[in-house]
Amino acid sequence: MTETLSFPDPTQLAVPFFIAAILIEFLWIAMKKRGGRYETRDAVTSLVMGAGSVAEGILLGFIAWGFLMVLWDLTPLDLGTSVWALVACFVLDDLRYYWVHRFGHRIRWVWASHVNHHSSQHYNLTTALRQTWTGTFTFMMVVKAPLVLLGFHPALVLFAGGLNLIYQFWIHTEAIGKLPGWFEAVMNTPSHHRVHHGRNPRYLDCNYAGVFIVWDRMFGTFVPEQEDEKVDYGLVHNLGTFNPLRVAFHEWLGIWRDITQPGLTLRQRLAYAFAPPGYSHDGSRETSAQIKARHLARHPQDRGTPGFTDRPPGPAQGLRS
Amino acid sequence: MPLEFLLILVIGGISAIAVILHLTGRSHRAVLLPEDARAAWHRHFPDDMIVDVTVAHDGHAALVETEQGPGLLWSFGADTVGRHLRDFDLLDHPQGLRVLFHDFTAPQVTLHLSPDERRDWQARMTPR
Ligand SMILES: [Zn+2]
Ligand SMILES: [Zn+2]
Repeated sequence: MTETLSFPDPTQLAVPFFIAAILIEFLWIAMKKRGGRYETRDAVTSLVMGAGSVAEGILLGFIAWGFLMVLWDLTPLDLGTSVWALVACFVLDDLRYYWVHRFGHRIRWVWASHVNHHSSQHYNLTTALRQTWTGTFTFMMVVKAPLVLLGFHPALVLFAGGLNLIYQFWIHTEAIGKLPGWFEAVMNTPSHHRVHHGRNPRYLDCNYAGVFIVWDRMFGTFVPEQEDEKVDYGLVHNLGTFNPLRVAFHEWLGIWRDITQPGLTLRQRLAYAFAPPGYSHDGSRETSAQIKARHLARHPQDRGTPGFTDRPPGPAQGLRS
Repeated sequence: MPLEFLLILVIGGISAIAVILHLTGRSHRAVLLPEDARAAWHRHFPDDMIVDVTVAHDGHAALVETEQGPGLLWSFGADTVGRHLRDFDLLDHPQGLRVLFHDFTAPQVTLHLSPDERRDWQARMTPR
């Protein structure tokens, strides 16, 4: 395959479609008086985050690209650019997305980049564009390595990743309820992804899927949207600022302040960077597991219901379907 | 896509959406009643035991006394944000008070208070 293979950047090409879809969703909500909420500064912050994310890709994209091209030179495999190669790449890249996204919620270093996507208390199509500016610094491009080593050209891998993000755009809406059962069973949908944006203890750390929700069902992280529990969008500790710079960098600053405070062991410093968000050496903060446990202490009747099904590790876990 | 074109599209798109939202009244800040403020505080801090809630006359902020200490709730766009009053500075402001939290994610809040309210709030916010 030639080294100059190039695909268009799908996210850039989709910009006019994004703008049109946002206007249509807004008009629909305004006319029907249901199906979501829009707020000026919230929407502008989301859109500026989206623009900044594209800019970051243009400025720093060469780092991930260079890394993947080194691997491409190493691998003897080449699966070509047929439609089947693209389909296979898209599906495997979605599995890659699932794990990167899961790391994004379970490792503070990666959460520092991803947190901004969850920082709005709203959930509409602009929220989809509230994307990170600091993805390169998470080094999560290493999770793309197996794809390239398997013989998918880096351009194909990045193209598949772009399509994945575009798919996720339309699911950031309250205007669509639940879709037909077969679709909800296989695909990530507005309903599943609303749950992912919830700060309710029940909805923390679930539904990491990009395109196919089957990964969450396979790996035990699926929680369906509950009729009787409305999703409360945003962060456990909501931000009190619309300033995009603060939104983009606040958690990185938090990591820096935590690991540089005096009197910690090396292990504690590392935990502040790489343990799940909410870790603290003195118990002054809460992880999602602790938030769920505290919720169950107050609402024991919720134990065993979706989002609260964690059992102690044992042989039964392997049998879970 | 040429970069200039992308830039024009992005700036134009964001501006158009912002203007449409603003002109259709989507910039209004949340107005709180005492019972809203209570519910909002519990939404942010579900374990706090609320003792008393005082809403500012403009409805954009509430002083929340809890067994866990005093807290401030304020309108944040159409929603609210709350912080415990632990690490902050209080400044005079022509319309009331300005709270500077030592918190990168919630740097400051301007409270619009009547002179009476201001005296009362200042006394209750100042750590004893
Ligand atoms: Zn997420
Ligand atoms: Zn999302």
